[in-house]
This record gives sequence, C-alpha cells and structure tokens, in this order.
Amino acid sequence: MRLFIMTLLLAQPLFSIAQPKCEATLCGIVTDAETQSPIAFAQVFIEENNAGAVTDEKGRFHFHNLCEGTYTIVSQHIGCPHVAKEVFIKGNVEVDFSLHHKGVHLEEIVVKEKSVLPASVQTERTLSGLQLNAVQGETLGDALQNLPGVTTLNTGTSIAKPVIRGLHSNRVLVLNNGVRQEGQQWGLDHGPEVDPYVADELKVIMGANSVRYGADALGGVILIEPKPLRETAGIGGEINLAGFSNGLVGVVSGQVDGHQKLSSSALAYRLQGTLKRGGNTQTPDYFLDNTGLSEKNISAALGLQKEGFGTEVFYSLFTTDLGILRDAHIGNLTDLQNAIERGRPIRNNGFSYQLDRPLQRVAHHLLKVKSHWEAESLGKLSLVYARQFNRRQEFDAHKRFGSPPTGFDNPEIEFEITTHTLDVAFEHAAFQHFSGTFGAQWMHQVNTTDRGGLIPNYSNQNIGVYWIERWRKYPFPLELEGGIRFDSRSMDIERRGADVIDRQLEFNNASGTFGAVYHFPKYLKARLHAGSAWRAPAVNELYSDGVHHGSASFELGSEDLTAERATNLNLGFDLSLDGKTTGTGLTASLAFYQNRVDNFIYLEPQDKPVLTIRGAFPAFHYVQTDARLRGLDWQAEWRPVKWLSIGSAISILRARNLQTDDWLVFMPADSYRHSMGYYFDKNATEPKSFLKLTMENVARQTRAPEGQDYTPPPPGFTLFEVEGGTQLNWFGQSVHLGLTVQNVFNKSYRSYLNRLRYYAAEQGRNVAVRIKLEF
Amino acid sequence: MKKLNFIFLLFLAITLFTFTSCDDDEGVDVNDVELITTVTLQFNLPDGTDAGSFTIRDTDGDGGNPPVKESINLSANTGYLISAQFFDESDPADVEDITEEVNEEDDEHLVCYTASGLSAPFDLNTDSNGDLLGTTAAITTGDAGTGTLQIVLKHEPDKSATDACATGETDVEVIFDVVVQ
Repeated sequence: MRLFIMTLLLAQPLFSIAQPKCEATLCGIVTDAETQSPIAFAQVFIEENNAGAVTDEKGRFHFHNLCEGTYTIVSQHIGCPHVAKEVFIKGNVEVDFSLHHKGVHLEEIVVKEKSVLPASVQTERTLSGLQLNAVQGETLGDALQNLPGVTTLNTGTSIAKPVIRGLHSNRVLVLNNGVRQEGQQWGLDHGPEVDPYVADELKVIMGANSVRYGADALGGVILIEPKPLRETAGIGGEINLAGFSNGLVGVVSGQVDGHQKLSSSALAYRLQGTLKRGGNTQTPDYFLDNTGLSEKNISAALGLQKEGFGTEVFYSLFTTDLGILRDAHIGNLTDLQNAIERGRPIRNNGFSYQLDRPLQRVAHHLLKVKSHWEAESLGKLSLVYARQFNRRQEFDAHKRFGSPPTGFDNPEIEFEITTHTLDVAFEHAAFQHFSGTFGAQWMHQVNTTDRGGLIPNYSNQNIGVYWIERWRKYPFPLELEGGIRFDSRSMDIERRGADVIDRQLEFNNASGTFGAVYHFPKYLKARLHAGSAWRAPAVNELYSDGVHHGSASFELGSEDLTAERATNLNLGFDLSLDGKTTGTGLTASLAFYQNRVDNFIYLEPQDKPVLTIRGAFPAFHYVQTDARLRGLDWQAEWRPVKWLSIGSAISILRARNLQTDDWLVFMPADSYRHSMGYYFDKNATEPKSFLKLTMENVARQTRAPEGQDYTPPPPGFTLFEVEGGTQLNWFGQSVHLGLTVQNVFNKSYRSYLNRLRYYAAEQGRNVAVRIKLEF
Repeated sequence: MKKLNFIFLLFLAITLFTFTSCDDDEGVDVNDVELITTVTLQFNLPDGTDAGSFTIRDTDGDGGNPPVKESINLSANTGYLISAQFFDESDPADVEDITEEVNEEDDEHLVCYTASGLSAPFDLNTDSNGDLLGTTAAITTGDAGTGTLQIVLKHEPDKSATDACATGETDVEVIFDVVVQ
C-alpha cells in the first residue's frame, strides 16, 4: 500500500506538468515564528512569474489564476531573513510562512528591488537547524565533515582540522563571526580555536575565494555565523547538554540573550559559555592513554541599533587543554617503526580523566567592534575592528634526558600571536540592477616564539582593496558577479632563538573572481565560477629546520619559496523538485571543480636521511611544484513520501603533482554516504521526530605516491550511524532531544588522514545524547 | 541615553581589560633544548687496564654536520668491560655529563647493545629494581673479523616487556664500526 502511495505521489507532479491549467489559487498566512502572531504588510511573491502580494492585518495573502506547476514562493518582512518555499500548485493550495526576526537589524537585508537574495555563484554547503543540532558537542572539523567535499585531518581523536576539497591549514580560511581567524593554522596538529556552540549556522564556501576574504583562501572559506542578536523585547536563552559514551565526554553550553527598547534605539545583548570535559577515548580493543580534553569558552555580545546606525561589540575567549596519545611521543624512526609493527599502543591504562604530558594548551581571545551607517539613497558603510590574541603551549612528555617534567608550568613550545584587523566596506545602493561592495582591509600581526625555537619571531602586515559587483535584472534568469582585489603583504622575520635572521619579504598580488548563475525554469539552477587566490609562503615553510615531533621526519624550510597561486573553476547544478511544503520532493546538488595551484608548496622526500645522535631521520624539504586538484561533490535528498527520506553524499578527489607526474600525498580518499530517514509525524511539513540510519563508506586511498609515507594507506572502511531526534513541550518550554550512535558495530579502522594512525586505531562505538532546552 | 553610553563603555572597558591582562610575558626567549651530543664507550680489561675509548660526536645537534665516528678496535677472544657514557658538548665551555642523570634515574633508562658480524654476548648491569640497565656491560670477543655495534639509549622503556629495547623513547641511537684483530 505504501509503495503504491509512494509511486502515486512521485508520479503526480512529474506527469501533470505537461498539461498546465491556469485556475489554481494560492493563499496562506504569514506569522511571527516567535510570537505566532500574524504579520501584516509582509511581502509575498512568486519568483517564477514576478507576482507580488502584501499581507493584510491578519497576515493573509492570496494569488489567483495560477497555472499548474512548481513555484518558488518567497516571503519577507523588514528585519526578517526571507523564507523561500518551493510549492507544487494545483487547485487550491495553502502555504503558511513563519518568519524569524533577525537581530536588532544589525544584518538587515534591505529590499531595493523586488527580488530575492542573490544566489551564490560559488558552491556553498551549510549546516544549520536539525543538522547542526545533531553534531553539537563535536569539534568544528568533525561537525563539518558531514558536508560533501569536506573531510578532516586528525591528530588522534580530539584534534580535527577541516579539509576542503583536499586543502587545509593555511589554505583554508576560517571566518569566526566575520573576522579572519588568526592563530597557528600552519601546524597540522593545530585545531581551529573556535567554539562551535557560538554558531547558528556553519557554512563552507568551496573553492578559491580571495576577493572578499583576503589571501590564503585557496581551498575555501568556513563561515561561523552566530545567531543575530535578539530582535524582540525580552529575555530568552537556551541550554545545551551533550554526553558522549566514548571518553565519557560531557558538554554544557548555555546562552542568555536580551533585548531592551530605548527611546530612539534598541539595545541587545548575549552571554554565552561552554564547558567541555572528556577522558581517555576507546578503540574497539583498547583505551587510548592521555586522550582526554578540557575546554572552557565564553563569549559576550552587546549591540546598539538606531535608525540608520548600528554598532556591536563582541568578545570571545576559547581555552582548551588537549591530551595527546602518550604512545605517539617517540624519539626516533626506530621507535616509530616499532610502534607500527606493534600496531597498538603499549600503554592501556583504562579510563581516566587525568590529563598528562604530552599536552597542548591553547587560548584564543577575540575582540570585535563593528559599526555600520546606512542611508537609503547611498548604501551602507561598515567598519569592523578586531584584535585577536592566540597563545599556544605544548608540553612534551619528557626532556631528552633527566627526570620527566610534571605539571604544566614549563611548556617546551610556546607561541604567541597578536593580530589587529580593520575592515572597511561600502555596499552601494542598487543602481541600474548593479549591487556591489568596495572594501579595504588592513592586518597587522606579531608572532613571538617564547619557547621551542620551532619557528622564528616575525611580524606581518597586509593591506588589501577590493571591489565586487553583481548584476541581476530580475526576472531575467542570468545573474553575474565579478570582483577584483589587490593585496600587498610584507613579512619581517626577526630571529629564531639566538639566530638572527633579519629578513624582509614582500608579496604583491592581484586576485579576481567571476561567476554566473543561470536559473532554468522552475527546477534547475546552474552556477559557473572562476576564481583566483594566492598565498604567501608561511613561516614554517620558509624556516623549518629540525626534527618534527611525532612524525619522525627532519623538515627543512626554504627561504626562496614564492607565493602560491590557485586558479579554480567550478561548475555546479542545483535541482529542486517540489519542496518541503508538500513534504515530498527531490533536492540535489552536484559540483565539478578543478583547482590548479601553481608553486604549490609541499614536503618533498629526500634520498639522503639526516644522521643524528638519535639515529637516521628521513629528510623532507619544502619545495614547490604545480598541483592540480580535480573532483566532484554531490549531495541529494529524496523524499518519495512524507515519512521517508533517502539521502546521498559523495566526495571524489584526484590530486596530482604535475611536475613529478605523481599523486599528491595525504589527500582524502573517495567517500560515499547514504542515509535513510523515517519521520514519525507524517503530516507536519517540518517533522519533529525522526530516525535516521547512515552508512558511510570511505575507500582505501589507492592514489598515493610511493615512498612518502611510513605505511601504505590503510584499508577502506564502512561505518554505520543511527540517529534519532524529537521535540517535546515541557511546561511550555521547547525541548529537543537527540540520540546518536556512531560506529554502531564498533568497527576497528584507521583513517588515512589521521596523523596518529601509525600508533592506534580510530575510536570505537560512541553513543551521544543531546538535550536542547529553549526558554 | 547617558546611561546607555555608560553601559557600553563599561562593557568595552571590561573586555579590553581581560584582554590585555593576558599577554604579559612577551619578550622572554627560553630555548633550553637539552641535547645528547656525544656517546663514548670506555673499554677496560677485567683487571682494569684501559683498553681504549671510542666516541661518536655530533656537537651541532640535529641537521648541520653529520656525527663524527671513531671505529672500535678490539683483540680477538678477549674479555672486556664496557662502560657507556653520554655527554652534552654543544657548549664546549660547559660540557655536561649526562651519564650521571641516567644513573640517577636508572629505572627509567636502558642501554641496549646489538652487535652484527661479531659473536659477542653482552652481560648488562642492573638498575635499583634488579632490571637490566646496561650502563656497563661485559663482553668476550670471538675470532678476528669486522662488524658493527649499535648502542641505543632508551627513556622510559617497559622493562618487563619481552623485547624491552623495542619500547620507550629513543634518546640515542648510534652504530660503531668494530674491528677485532
């Protein structure tokens, strides 16, 4: 019977398109999501035929004499982000909108023309709402790897760096609340210093994009967007609790926000904090010694909004202590070979919350002041100043000799980096279907290596100017965007330890972007994007000189490295058949890309090992080549009937070193993720209770160069995940409950992109419980 | 409005204060990375007679110039007592004898001997717990020939393991050429 309904429902829209009748009626009500009261004077329009309506005092709207077919219905109201729904219209259809008020108009979208938000010319993937709820409590990298094209580079179980289409670290930009995250990104074992609980939405822009965000974004940009400050008067908040069985990790995160109307302005604020504590994680066969963590984060925001002016102060502090697997602390290559032969750590001391050396301790402060001025006829000017201070300390398990150190008073490595940024942007008022932004960015950065002498002390200065224009003549199906940027970066490298280097480097580079979006009738959108980006060599690539801890390799930098230049082409298609309103439909997104990186900096293995008193170490030098990364990522969700959802996500990458005509090392293997979801409330458009089964298949990386790694890439693996969620009402409060079981069958496997795979397997089964209470 | 500005300034002041109080100790530059640069094997005959001392030395640390080696010359079918010594000679004016520290924490250290091309069983001394230590070792050479002798200094090995030399972290790993005449 269900199968019959399924085919019927599926067949219906597809067949009936052929014979349009123009007698359909669309009506509905627009309400405020928070108060449930109707919104008067909200705009509702149909994208396909440019028809518009305004709601009456009861929030109602009507459209008559519509032809049968699928339409994009958009509703918006001042201070609310627009909501778009794709609806199949036949006969009389009712569609209701519920709009969320956004902040104190700090990020208000000003509707100049009767048009919806411009579509992005680049492929973007977003994690928000239910999907974001389902990964709360995980690290930023682990959360993002649910998106196709995004994988992680791990160091053990608690450090995960996001990898976008094969690129990471210095080649990926993280924008935390609109500010470029400036920490010690160069290190492969340096995770992003961000509390994911701050985010209301995590967005990844795939591919080169330097024009708006500045140099370095060769692989992509990660945007961590907090929820806008509260718009409606009053006080609210939420409490998030999460518990993970593996490592007995507990997370508490809470926030309170308020809004106060004043005579001619409004004041809004938010206080947020997160505490996270975990102990030794567990593989199917053994515990991983010293893999606990402790994280404490706070943030506060205060905003003031007046007619035509707004300002916001934001401060956040992220602190973490991360234990590193004790057995991964080795002395030389023989130790590494012994560890690989053993295949598992020697120490198996069971579970403990105790954090010992080796350990990383990181603190990151961010202060941001943002103001904007707005004049309807001219546009919007915004000014953002930010100061970041990042301190990274690493504690080794022991010194070369002598008694092992205890406590955390004396780090073996300590870096401090202070960054000031000033961004000015002027968004001009729409003119002749053109909208655009002129901007300038200034950045000054000082790095001091207090201990360890791994990288030298240096200072950086960057000045960039850009201009981006977009053309859209609604309802003309083509949108165009173009932009250009010029950057000048100077680096002053002072000294490393006692060695005076005293070298000045300067890089001047232009970058550009051009993109187009074509809206095919009704279902399909195509995007074509060409972007260029560049990156100055990082200080570790210029000046590394020594044995790299944990990887038993001798790494030597080169002072003569030049800037990397990426040229990125991206072709994407978005298909959307029907939509969420009818509860059935198909959405799919497919993107093909090619990223050519000239002067790609990588570690080249040398024939001769470096001899030391601790034995021979394989030598690697930082050299440059031309690289080409090609691939596709795909994501689709099909809901043949309201209660069933079938999902699929695929990431495929081929990364070549063009000069040696070989593969690039440490590139993510092909991965396939399939899911099936069951929704309990069959009639609701946004179901509250669901059960989902996911199967993730990661292939063995067979495309790796010979002789650049200590072991061949590990075999592929298939993991299963079960996820369930529901929303309850307890005494008028909305409570979200979630249960996730990762690695259901407790499979022992190793990931090619985990730097500790030589020493231990990945973690085993992990049961997570999440509770979110909104008040 | 005045009150509002006050709140705003207070907030700004608090955030600025919490900020600046963090980066206090800039300018400190401690680079006290300790090294073992030198391994010396002192060979004595059972009666205490000095039978030669042989050294491998890498005073400039990792990278730079490779270690400088001396070959070990021994007599055939002779019993010797080896004592292994470790030094930090990176600063010639301040040579540190690390053997003392190894002996002080003898339960956390192990010196492993591996010979190839030579028939020379090693008889290691023991630490305070009665486990093998190896800062001294007795050997008896076989017939004349050439080979190598590898010396490994292990930190925090698992001395109860069957192959204790395959555990722990390696502080020293050097190979001497050996000539037995």
